[in-house]
Amino acid sequence: MSATGGTATRADEPETGSHGAGARGATARGNGTRAGGGPPRRRRLGGYLFVVPAVLFVAATVLYPLIFNIDLSFRDVGVAQIVEGGAEWVGTENYVDQLGRGDFWHALIISLLYTGLAVAFAFAAGLALAVYFNQRFPGRNVMRSLLLLAWVLPTVVSANVWRWMLDGSYGLLNTLLEAVGLIEGDLFWLARPVPALFAVIIATAWSFTPLVMILLLAGLQGIPDTLYEAAKIDGAGGWRRFTSVTMPMLRPVSVTALLLVFIYTFKTFDTVFLMTRGGPGDATMIMPIYAYNEAFEFFRFDTGAVATTLMLVIPLGLSFFYFRFLRREETA
Amino acid sequence: MTGTRRRWWLTGGGVLITAVYLLPVYWMLATSLKTSSDIFATPPDLVPSPVTFTSYTETVMNHAGIGRGLLNSAIIAVATTLVTLAIAVPAAYGLARLRLRFVPLLMLLFLVVQMVPAVNLALPMFVIFSRLDLVNSYTGLVLANCSLAIPLAITVLRPYFLSVPGEVLDAARVDGCTTWSAFLRVAVPVSVPGLITVAVISFLGAWGEFVFGLALASEESMQPITVVLAGLVNSFGTRWNDLMAVSAVVALPIIVIFVFLQRYIVGGLTAGASKS
Repeated sequence: MSATGGTATRADEPETGSHGAGARGATARGNGTRAGGGPPRRRRLGGYLFVVPAVLFVAATVLYPLIFNIDLSFRDVGVAQIVEGGAEWVGTENYVDQLGRGDFWHALIISLLYTGLAVAFAFAAGLALAVYFNQRFPGRNVMRSLLLLAWVLPTVVSANVWRWMLDGSYGLLNTLLEAVGLIEGDLFWLARPVPALFAVIIATAWSFTPLVMILLLAGLQGIPDTLYEAAKIDGAGGWRRFTSVTMPMLRPVSVTALLLVFIYTFKTFDTVFLMTRGGPGDATMIMPIYAYNEAFEFFRFDTGAVATTLMLVIPLGLSFFYFRFLRREETA
Repeated sequence: MTGTRRRWWLTGGGVLITAVYLLPVYWMLATSLKTSSDIFATPPDLVPSPVTFTSYTETVMNHAGIGRGLLNSAIIAVATTLVTLAIAVPAAYGLARLRLRFVPLLMLLFLVVQMVPAVNLALPMFVIFSRLDLVNSYTGLVLANCSLAIPLAITVLRPYFLSVPGEVLDAARVDGCTTWSAFLRVAVPVSVPGLITVAVISFLGAWGEFVFGLALASEESMQPITVVLAGLVNSFGTRWNDLMAVSAVVALPIIVIFVFLQRYIVGGLTAGASKS
């Protein structure tokens, strides 16, 4: 059990999927004792009882809120209407308002910049770690596991630690950077726009790197040793083997890992909220925080609903590609 | 042999990489053991001297909000885990083993749902919960946490049930088991590692959850520790030793689970992690 690719692939196995059910059902009737004989129809009805609670739960706590949110986005929701309901239908007015606002587009651009760069850093670091820890040496499994700690740590905790690491006067990072001569004097990372954006990107990438590593390690383990041996015989050095064997063979896993990590990073809220709350000014105002502020800071649940609804296009759109690539990887 | 020697060099490099990578975690612990003046030493003391536990004994133990936050988080995380198991385990089994219709469609639904940002649910939930009087309630917070935990749990668990050998379930049937008892007496016991994985990731997810706590618990007495910690950032200001001590306490259950149940985590974590 390892990569997302792995589990999701297995989750899509047709073994007991509906299209496989016909054939399996036939064999079941044929020999009578296959995985729970008995009258298929009755069993099937009983079988749905296993799934119905989960479907209802997800319908009530995810699908209903999402639809409710779309409905909110077309109404004029004041503070009173939050509890009492009865908000007036205003059509696309809130959408016109949001799409005409500079802050909205600014948040979108910051979000894409933040996500894109954090994913790029996490991918580069995760790839390097995966390649390194794919080599055989004593203790590598323990170290791989230890690295995962960065991913399981509550983001609120890691964000808080990064605030301290990045402290202008007493932060460890500045001390190290000064020691090697990269900066002079105090650099107040979180108080200046560009360094602040860079800081939240680094903190985010730090959390996501172990996830990338694990996803790519699964891909690396799937590359047959014979390919490396053949390359060696052909006289390819270490770097050449990496570019001509590892990279091409790792491409499918890389694409799915990139998409998945992009979606997860785009959703990120805690890290930025804790480190900068979107500031200074709106330098790190990513979309989730912008939408949160609309609703919970300014009590504009209608325009907040517009922002969240529109924001959903990106993760859902990318997950479409993600599932397509997973499927392709599976059939390949 | 040169091969062995090279491997030990690689181990050395690995240790160095791991140490540098986990420096923030070390720095959290080291800072939490420093005195108020030692945290502002220039250059910083890499090892706290003197070592003091005052941040833990004075601040963490005596601050009412922290204790309450930890209790709230424990209640929410345990309840989320139990509800998730109760709902997701039968569902995963049904989707893996009972030859139902629409399985690929449902699996796709449970996967897509995991791509939804928490804010997208927190906003409408606040309005819905306001009308149902569920804001500032454990019920509301557990419902919100389960909304993301259950789909994740199903996608993680289904492969475990798929890998239960069909013959085992057949044998149970021959012995006259109903669908339900074959599930409870055969499939569940065989899939205990999967159940532990799901329990662990549900707990980890709910313990570290922030957005729902922030949006759905405005009263301090109902806030999970993650939200309490975010609030302390303002009130503690530059008391970094105290802030790091609280952070370490929030991280502690995660680290303990991580150390002892590590082998159960890896598979589950990457299957569609439930962060924010």
